[in-house]
Amino acid sequence: MSLFWRIFALNALVLGAATALLLWAPVTVSVPILLTEAVILVGGLAVMLVANAALLRLGLAPLARLRRLMTTVDLLRPGQRLPVAGGGEVPEVIRTFNAMLERLEQERATSSARALLAQEAERRRIAQELHDEVGQSMTAILLGLKRSADEAPPRLREELHEVQEITRQSLDEVRRVVRRLRPGVLDDLGLVSAITSLTEDFATHTRMHVTRRFDTDLPELAPETELVLYRVAQESLTNAARHADAERVTVALRHVADRVVLTVTDDGRGIEAPREGAGMRGMRERALLIGGSLEITPAPRAGTSVQLTAPVPRKQL
Amino acid sequence: MPDTITPAETRTGTIRILLADDHALVRRGVRLILQQEPDLKVVAEAGDGAEAVELARTHEVDLAVLDIAMPRLTGLQAARELAARKPGLRILMLTMHDNEQYFFQALKAGACGYVLKSVADRDLVAACRAAVRDEPFLYPGAVTALIRNYLDRARHGEETPDQVLTPREEEVLKLVAEGHSSKEIADLLFISVKTVQRHRANLLQKLGLRDRLELTRYAIRAGLIEP
Repeated sequence: MSLFWRIFALNALVLGAATALLLWAPVTVSVPILLTEAVILVGGLAVMLVANAALLRLGLAPLARLRRLMTTVDLLRPGQRLPVAGGGEVPEVIRTFNAMLERLEQERATSSARALLAQEAERRRIAQELHDEVGQSMTAILLGLKRSADEAPPRLREELHEVQEITRQSLDEVRRVVRRLRPGVLDDLGLVSAITSLTEDFATHTRMHVTRRFDTDLPELAPETELVLYRVAQESLTNAARHADAERVTVALRHVADRVVLTVTDDGRGIEAPREGAGMRGMRERALLIGGSLEITPAPRAGTSVQLTAPVPRKQL
Repeated sequence: MPDTITPAETRTGTIRILLADDHALVRRGVRLILQQEPDLKVVAEAGDGAEAVELARTHEVDLAVLDIAMPRLTGLQAARELAARKPGLRILMLTMHDNEQYFFQALKAGACGYVLKSVADRDLVAACRAAVRDEPFLYPGAVTALIRNYLDRARHGEETPDQVLTPREEEVLKLVAEGHSSKEIADLLFISVKTVQRHRANLLQKLGLRDRLELTRYAIRAGLIEP
């Protein structure tokens, strides 16, 4: 039944009841009106209004549920839908809303995917150019300086050595920038090497003790999936080191049925769920990008556990 | 690794070098540096990995100096090919990549040395000579990674050194593990950089990480690279 007819019927019911009362009940309305009659009429009106309000509320309940979901829905946790029952306008609105959520989630996933991919592609391009052009030219300069210094008179040699050191430092800086921009090791040597190298970096530069547990039968993954696994591991390790004051972290990659599961568990202070920062949102967006799911839970003994489950693509046709 | 092929150095006194880098200016720079040394001679130059493998087939060379990032075949792939085809050939990687994973992969692929381009002017010649003597030329980041890892495992009772370290060596070991450079360690301990380097070499020897194969085996055992 449509919303219009439902409200119409409710009103008709109330008004009909009032009319029936007037017709068959032993009441008369005098002109001018008597006090008792006025009291009865006003009392009747009040009863009618209350009944109408109660019935309307009942009739509009599905809309209230819809409004509540609309105000709380979070596109980063997809899959929240309202149950639809029966036909008519209200279920139709809910159905349309559910469909709209579906579309929004998809649009959001594709647009953030596009943004992330564009960002990674740009980083990769800059890293490549720095590495291939700037880095190589500076290497050539360094070698040229060394040769000139070897053949220069002593006073000039001193100066050339200084220039050599400056060049070396700049080259080191270029290399560091390249490394920060893009985990080249991921492209060249694969996910396990890249995450191994990442954990070694954290073990060297922080006080954390990092343990690695990798399954030996990890399947081949799409490059985007590997990149997401890498970035999530990176973000989790950064959180563990920076915010959680963790001492021990375990990074595990497991192959379970048709999924790969990355787990980063630390023994730090843990995080409070409502305070998920930009880093966590970023991880969720990346997880959506590859059709994976991200779970952040308190680890068994305090600390935090971040788990990313990524589907393994079936062999290409 | 027992090697039946004697390096040509002992026969002619000159080390014949194959140089592969996709950047012509770098190649030229490296060639000029190497040619300054009377015992080093660049006999072939390649612009990519596949060309390097090809040239190694047609030229008599004792040492291949390979860049890692090259088109067609990367330096690592080329090293694998070369190590399989010409077991007597020594391989040295010359690269921008400051990452121990590349270093261990290079060892696994058959290279015996790894030189960063940012220190090529300083270390390349020494690394070439070390390679021909079949000694590993270690890059500092890799030594730090190895030693840190070793200390971790020793603490958990998984490793024990073959020989007892001297107190000085233990000091150096700790500082290396903390990521200090030789220069910093020298300043901290009031000794010369040369002495620090000697301590480091002794350390690796005593920890049983002396040559390419031992290092590779250790890296695999410790989970630093895949088997």
